[in-house]
Amino acid sequence: MYSPFDFNEAMNHRKDFVEEALRPGSPAVGIAYEGGIALLSVNRSQRKIYEIYDRQMFSAIGRQADIENIRLASIQMMHQEGFERSPDDVSIQRLVGFSLSPALKKAFGEQFAAPFVIRALFAELGRQPGSDNFFTLNYDGEFRQHRGAAVVAGTSGAEDAMLEKIGEPNPGQSREEALHKALSAWSTGAREAIKRRLAIGGRDDGDDYNPLRDIDESEADSVFLRDELKNGKLEVGLLERRGARDSRFRLLTSDELDKLIQDHV
Amino acid sequence: MIEVAGDLWSLLEKRGHPLTRPEATAMPARPYDSPAGQGVGAGTGVVDTHGTTVIAVKYDKGVINVGDRRATANFAVMYDKSEKVLPIDDYTLLAISGSFARAMEAVRYLRTTFKLFERTYLQAMSLDGKLAELAKVVRAGIPDAMQGIGGFIPILTTFDRESNEGRIFFYDGMGARFESAEFGAAGSGSMQIRGVFDYIVKTKKPFHDMNREEALKEALFLLDIAADLDAATGGWAKVLPLATTITAEGIEDVPEDELRRIVADIDLQGGERIAPRR
Repeated sequence: MYSPFDFNEAMNHRKDFVEEALRPGSPAVGIAYEGGIALLSVNRSQRKIYEIYDRQMFSAIGRQADIENIRLASIQMMHQEGFERSPDDVSIQRLVGFSLSPALKKAFGEQFAAPFVIRALFAELGRQPGSDNFFTLNYDGEFRQHRGAAVVAGTSGAEDAMLEKIGEPNPGQSREEALHKALSAWSTGAREAIKRRLAIGGRDDGDDYNPLRDIDESEADSVFLRDELKNGKLEVGLLERRGARDSRFRLLTSDELDKLIQDHV
Repeated sequence: MIEVAGDLWSLLEKRGHPLTRPEATAMPARPYDSPAGQGVGAGTGVVDTHGTTVIAVKYDKGVINVGDRRATANFAVMYDKSEKVLPIDDYTLLAISGSFARAMEAVRYLRTTFKLFERTYLQAMSLDGKLAELAKVVRAGIPDAMQGIGGFIPILTTFDRESNEGRIFFYDGMGARFESAEFGAAGSGSMQIRGVFDYIVKTKKPFHDMNREEALKEALFLLDIAADLDAATGGWAKVLPLATTITAEGIEDVPEDELRRIVADIDLQGGERIAPRR
């Protein structure tokens, strides 16, 4: 017979399975600044930051197939809504709350199908500074709204550390200031998740396996970042409030990225 | 799994959107309403609003589009401030004539579908792809157009960044596409001025050799003649026409004071040359 205990256990198994798959994911940081909003991440192979509608963009950690599925579904729902009604009626609040969250919750509860392995970050450009919107969406359909800044990372501990690093949201800050904060937060989050992985892979005292164990904490982030950028590529997507083009979205050019990295380390 | 369809057209088709199912909007012909052939929409009891004349000519930096501001329904003027040259992306303009309802829907469809394609596949739709999408929308209007409502004829102009030149494409009612080397015109006044384009090219110089000022002036002269010879095309006595350019830098409206100056020039020049009344 199937008891509530079995149900609980089955859900926990699924949760463990997904959490373990998410852990090594390269974090993504969303941050608002005076002239718009930015999403920042370091990609290890695939592109990670995508435009999904006129004032909306998206990044996620997880399995590529699931990320792609959510990306395409989001793009399609928003364009359909924008065509049948108006681009003004398209919002991530509706996308996440009414379309994606129920579908993810349903998929997570289906015992005999593979669950989505995804933790997604949606960002929406407001008309004025301070009115920008972020949503994070989890593999089980849970979602949260954030103002000013939001992150997704491999573990909740890593996410907490990242948000702490960013500190109080400051929508009036300059783009440079915001990107440096985001880059620091990314290093902290990625390092935090890896720390845990090293600890789990080794003995109880994970520090023996941590190559950064002898380095001062504040310096460790930049050493780690420099190392990560040897194999990975920094990626920054912007939605700019002002601009001559029809599209608000653009990726930072490689020159702009080089300058950001140089100023940072 | 969240279901994902291929493109906007199949998505709309699946949902039974009228754009993709024109037979759903077309009403059975009612020949007893009015004698066939009398005015727009004869036989359907429906009168739709029409845009009148739009003109596109090349110039040395790209393409200029001009259009009058009038929209008519049979013999009534529905609106005197309509915009008939509409951007569909950063480098593409659609000049529309004929049924406003359908043309505006086509513009929204194209804007959405170009963006959807680029965001989905992470590359811009090719020019050929864009022209095929437009043909699809024009073709879908045939059942309506055969009953006298809903037909529209577009001119698509773009700046081709690969060959670094402006390009002009015009369509027939069936969705056939033609590329023009120098100019294009559509709408009720376009037939009346067709020969004038050739006369200008043969006696002055090709449009693509003209500078912006020269080409703009010729285009406005042509629009003025269309307004003189076609009952539906609006002149500029009350409302200035609209002129828009596409160049390597993108789309730009010709400023109002520049238009006002050229229009005044044309009025003066044209007025002097008209033979005195007997």
